[in-house]
Amino acid sequence: MSARKFAADKLLWETLGRWKRSSPELDRIQFLKTVPFFDRLSNRQLKTVSDIMFERRYDSDESIFEEGQPGAALFLILNGKIAIEICRETSTTRLAVLESGAFFGEMALLDDTPRSANARALEPTRTLALYRNDLNDLVHRDAKAACQIYRSLAGTIGDRLRLTNELVQTKTPADMA
Amino acid sequence: MSNGQDFEEKERERKVRRTVFYLIFAGLVLIVAGFLTWKLSGLILPTIVGALLAFVFRPVKDRFRIRWLPHELQVLCSFAAIGVVLFFAFNTLRKHIPDEEQKLEFKVRLKYKLNDRYRQLVAKLPERKSNAVTPLIEKEVGPLMDKVNQALALDPKERDLFLKYAAGYNGKPPIENKFVDYFWANQKTGKYVIPEKTLAGAAQPAAPVAAAPAQAPPASEGASLENKLSAWMLAPLIFVFLGFDNGQIRRFFISLVPNRYFELSLTVLDELDDAIGRYLRGTLLECFLVGLALTVGLVLLGIPLGIAVAIGVVSGLLNAIPFLGTVIALVIGVGYALIAENVTPLIPGLNPNDLALYVLILVVIVHVLDDVVFQPFVLGSAANVHPLVVVIAIISGSLIMGLWGMLFAIPTVVVVKTAVATFFKELKDYRII
Repeated sequence: MSARKFAADKLLWETLGRWKRSSPELDRIQFLKTVPFFDRLSNRQLKTVSDIMFERRYDSDESIFEEGQPGAALFLILNGKIAIEICRETSTTRLAVLESGAFFGEMALLDDTPRSANARALEPTRTLALYRNDLNDLVHRDAKAACQIYRSLAGTIGDRLRLTNELVQTKTPADMA
Repeated sequence: MSNGQDFEEKERERKVRRTVFYLIFAGLVLIVAGFLTWKLSGLILPTIVGALLAFVFRPVKDRFRIRWLPHELQVLCSFAAIGVVLFFAFNTLRKHIPDEEQKLEFKVRLKYKLNDRYRQLVAKLPERKSNAVTPLIEKEVGPLMDKVNQALALDPKERDLFLKYAAGYNGKPPIENKFVDYFWANQKTGKYVIPEKTLAGAAQPAAPVAAAPAQAPPASEGASLENKLSAWMLAPLIFVFLGFDNGQIRRFFISLVPNRYFELSLTVLDELDDAIGRYLRGTLLECFLVGLALTVGLVLLGIPLGIAVAIGVVSGLLNAIPFLGTVIALVIGVGYALIAENVTPLIPGLNPNDLALYVLILVVIVHVLDDVVFQPFVLGSAANVHPLVVVIAIISGSLIMGLWGMLFAIPTVVVVKTAVATFFKELKDYRII
């Protein structure tokens, strides 16, 4: 094989490799790997989960969901910032600001109970949404992957419950009143 | 003007531009869709049938999920399984679809047997009552019999063909002598109702029933049939390509939905999919059960298995048309019972001469079974449509698209009803209205 042909082949394979490495699908799987919620899943399972997720783009100050609406999906921030807020008659309380890799609205994966807070994009944001019924279907198609996700969900809810219990225990009766 | 105000002004202008753009785009899409629907109306039905089949058989495809097998191969396996089942079903059915000779033979037998039964009925009437009842029956049933005779009469072309088949034609064995005798007897059948003019004095003999003049097929009939066939080729193609879909179509449509309605549209689509799927698959199962019950009943009445299966399949499929499906099943079943000969019922004590009556009772029993057992258990409240709406929908369907319209009338009503109910419920839940 001539040196020229070898160089051309090498260039072709490098280009193909780069194109393959930078495909949105692979990027998404690479991203999911970094999210603790999905850290127990294998590459193949991550691909299955990635296939059922919806990518959504939000402008700055655009609402993702509002308090009181029935929950249907968990959201995962690909990039951007999200504010979780509770609006009362006279004031708005910001509970958290979430950034890339964080997730919110996970209770919607269990049932359609109303959202407990508002979620609003603070800057142009890309999210991945996992719809509850798609996860339910995944139980039949890839039970192991679905099981791992539910396990992570149970862990997250357990952590929050523990935190709430600790918070309640540290409060004095006067605070409670 | 400050930078902030400038930005807000630009954003407002952008919003107006976006709204105008969306409106113009939606208008153009509607115009193009309307034009295409008008021009390609022949493709609508095959598309709907293909899409419905893909939708109904989706659970079969999902059952075939094997993790290590590529999706395309899994779909092909499912289609192969469905194809094999459909091939055997249609092959069985095709064997019992009468060919040209059998059609002629059936017509001759049916006409002969009906007239024979009618004459027996009139002759059997008791002597003392004959004065009162016989004219009444002749007045009421006579005209009907004349119409039936006219419908079953062979035209000159068919008569020639029957005589050719009677002597053995086209490589087929000659028709049984008994049926040739029926044919000659049918030629002597006169009118039961004599026209008033004839009564008045014009001594015309009761002529055999005049056959309707055979109409020459229009020149474009072949081309039209070819067009129809090529349009129907679309149905399996749509079935296959929708089968290959792994949620991409849904994702595409969801991607077009504004963020505000994202979760709402997912929920609405899912609930619609669930409700319509349950209804359609339930209807299919109900049709299967009705067909099975009829087949078993007909076999017990002594009708040969092949014929019983063919009648069961046709009646089961047509059961999807409320009311009319039962009537058609009754007509097919009783029609066959009238011409059936040498039938030995498997149930002891039944008189083979009363087969038509037993078939009538069987159809009624199956209809009651369908209403009381199959529908409540299989469909539940999925098809909770008012009977008046059912009747109006069937009539409207038949006016718009004939038999297909009747078949699709109730599923369409159920789809629209479910869609509207779900959409409004979710719009309220999401506080949009």
